Amino acid sequence: MAASVREKQAAALKRMLNFNTSPLKNTAAEPVWKVLIYDRFGQDIISPLLAVKELRDMGITLHLLLHSDRDPIPDVPAIYFVMPTEENIDRICQDLRNQLYESYYLNFISAISRSKLEDIASAALSANAVTQVTKVFDQYLNFITLEDDMFILCNQNKELISYHAINKPDIMDTEMEAIMDTIVDSLFCFFVTLGAVPIIRCPRGNAAEMVAVKLDKKLRENLRDARNSLFTGDNMGAGQFSFQRPLFVLADRNLDLATPLHHTWTYQALIHDVLDFHLNRVSMDESVGSEASPSGARPKKKNKKSYDLTAADKFWQKHKGSPFPEVAESVQEELDTYRAQEDEVKRLKSIMGLEGEDEGPISSISMSDNTAKLTSAVSSLPELLEKKRLIDLHTNVATAVLDHIKSRKLDVYFEYEEKLMSKSTLEKSLLDIISDPDAGTPEDKMRLFLIFYITALQPPSETDLDQYKKALLETGCDLSSLNYIKQWNLFSRVMNSGSQFVMEGVKHLVLKQHNLPVTRILDNLMEMKSNPETDDYRYFDPKMLRGSESSTPRNKNPFQEAIVFVVGGGNYIEYQNLVDYTKAKPGKRVLYGCSELFNAGQFIKQLSSLGQK
Amino acid sequence: MAVDITVLFKASVKTVKTRNKAIGVGFDLPKEEIFKKSRPKHGFSLKAKEVISNITKLKDFLLQHRKDYVNAGSLISSDLTRMTDNERDQIDQDAQIFMRTCSEAIKQLRSEAEKQVIPTQIREHRGAVLDLIEIYLRGVCKLYSEQRAIRVKRVFEQENQRLVSEMSNLVDEVRQIEGKVVEISRLQEIFAEKVLMQETEIDSIHQLVVGATENVKEGNEDIREAIKNNAGFRVWILFFLVMCSFSLLFLDWYDS
Repeated sequence: MAASVREKQAAALKRMLNFNTSPLKNTAAEPVWKVLIYDRFGQDIISPLLAVKELRDMGITLHLLLHSDRDPIPDVPAIYFVMPTEENIDRICQDLRNQLYESYYLNFISAISRSKLEDIASAALSANAVTQVTKVFDQYLNFITLEDDMFILCNQNKELISYHAINKPDIMDTEMEAIMDTIVDSLFCFFVTLGAVPIIRCPRGNAAEMVAVKLDKKLRENLRDARNSLFTGDNMGAGQFSFQRPLFVLADRNLDLATPLHHTWTYQALIHDVLDFHLNRVSMDESVGSEASPSGARPKKKNKKSYDLTAADKFWQKHKGSPFPEVAESVQEELDTYRAQEDEVKRLKSIMGLEGEDEGPISSISMSDNTAKLTSAVSSLPELLEKKRLIDLHTNVATAVLDHIKSRKLDVYFEYEEKLMSKSTLEKSLLDIISDPDAGTPEDKMRLFLIFYITALQPPSETDLDQYKKALLETGCDLSSLNYIKQWNLFSRVMNSGSQFVMEGVKHLVLKQHNLPVTRILDNLMEMKSNPETDDYRYFDPKMLRGSESSTPRNKNPFQEAIVFVVGGGNYIEYQNLVDYTKAKPGKRVLYGCSELFNAGQFIKQLSSLGQK
Repeated sequence: MAVDITVLFKASVKTVKTRNKAIGVGFDLPKEEIFKKSRPKHGFSLKAKEVISNITKLKDFLLQHRKDYVNAGSLISSDLTRMTDNERDQIDQDAQIFMRTCSEAIKQLRSEAEKQVIPTQIREHRGAVLDLIEIYLRGVCKLYSEQRAIRVKRVFEQENQRLVSEMSNLVDEVRQIEGKVVEISRLQEIFAEKVLMQETEIDSIHQLVVGATENVKEGNEDIREAIKNNAGFRVWILFFLVMCSFSLLFLDWYDS
């Protein structure tokens, strides 16, 4: 079974933590202790993949940030996992001079340049520490894997490559170049870790095309360099992509601005939308009372609690894409099963307690049964406790989400937006919802209106627009994002003739299985369907000897694996849509990536700041 | 896939060295390198490494003798490789003492480390190191206890076997006895039958005998009577005769 990107990245990390050799399977091996030093980038990469306990199991006694005060521990090897930036290199040189550790294993998240390597060399020479620098590695792990099939580029400094940064009107060429380089570097690392050279398709005329060109160039250069190529032999793995190369679809955020603003109904996307959710960790205020009003009128004793939603949490893996009502039911079911098991254990306990006194025929017959049952109960106790913890976790999270839904009437927004996006008839007028004081925060109303504006076939007339604007202003919305959307809309309408925002409704149930634009594009490209939207996409194959400007793909077979990357930012709604699409097509694998992950609130902020310019 | 650029690094070091030599900035390398090599390792890590090497020794020892200990069930094991139970007990004891000493050593290190005044990071580091050593020790103990469990299981199995064979012997004997008892009871039945039959006969004999005795008694009486009668009859005859004779005599006298 092919290893997912997450497994590959985790395996690479574990190998690195084992002094760059393969970890032994022998459980009773001598412990070797080490210290892990990382910068914030390294921390963000490691934290979704390895828990602190796993680090401990691998012998890491301390894990510290590079730019913190660190005491010398002179008889311990240190493993560094940092980005090769100026300040990091300086700090490493300082560490070498201060002789903090016994030996140094330097691992750079992306490739380090020759000059910086020489800086370290000279610092090592001056500190007489050359022999202490035991190994230096380029890890090519400059991306963060959140799920088996989802990755983002970075969490630190994401403003530098945000939607805002890419699309601001006064951007300079040098800035754009820098942004593109960052993105391409991460994507390159991603493909090195994946061990495959993709076929790249991208639309014309936007940031995605620039990224594609650069990436193609970088891959091509690396493949030509036969001595140092990273895509040879053992990297290709055990035939993961043996027959076919994967398809890499680059999309630009600008092709679909409505989806990031959409109110959603699936569990993971909801958590990302209403709660504070970063790098698979949810942080929420846990108030003692259970009535949480969004305005916090009576703040009860609140303490912040954070929960990790990991791959080991089976409930989460099963339900993160389910609609919220299903999740609530499932939590209840899990709770019931847990209670049943708990009762079973209690019953056994009481039977064993009575067994000495009661000499009735029943107990004597089932004696051997009981011993076996008791053993199984005892061994399943840790499982039960873990299950309880997870159930509590999800109950808390789901309750918090439910509170938000109830107070902001998010279900109303969801339904309305679904109707807007699928162009079915509207029952309530938009104005009613906007003027309704109970339904949602000003941000929610702004989102709704923006979706309306974007998806409308014709822009609304001036009078209507003014009406809406007035209503929005009354409720306290900030209209600068609208300005930006207007400009964008004009621009895009000039570029594309047809309405690009049509969702196909497959089933007419309450939660329709729509294909969002990104999914649609992927479908066309993966299945080699002809569609006016995607026929114009450029085609890059880094393995071909000569780059061509044509858009005709060379092979006509549908792809089995694909990676979708959205330049400018993505969110869980698109991810979930892709996951659903993949589920319907067995044998196909789709990975989703984006330059940053934002929820609707953060996206509106970016739009507002763009609109204010 | 990670790329090892250590070689590149070493090359950079050479480049910088030559560059420095060219510029005229030199460093005294040889002496200090020698000094560096003999840098003393601090007490804590020395002791910790000692404990670890001890535990490793124990582990090797256990693994070495594991095959013999467990007596891996080959039918052709020669007497040389077989362990007596005494030897096994010895190993058990030794291993236990060893484990206890190791955990004592760990505890000691821990208390020592706590007493020392050292910066937090080093304290944390040492705590974590001791945790790791403990986990290692626990792993090795688990090896030992697994071995022991197999042995104990084996012993129980042996005892089981023995008990089973004893029981089966008993069962055989009991069966034999049972057979014999059955025979005896059958014979006894037959005897009882016969005895019962004899009883009736004896009864009848008894009756007969009683009747005979009575008859004899009556007979005796009859004889007595008969004798009496006889005697009386004789008297009468005698009298008659005497009378006749007298009558004759009278007659004779009369006629005379």
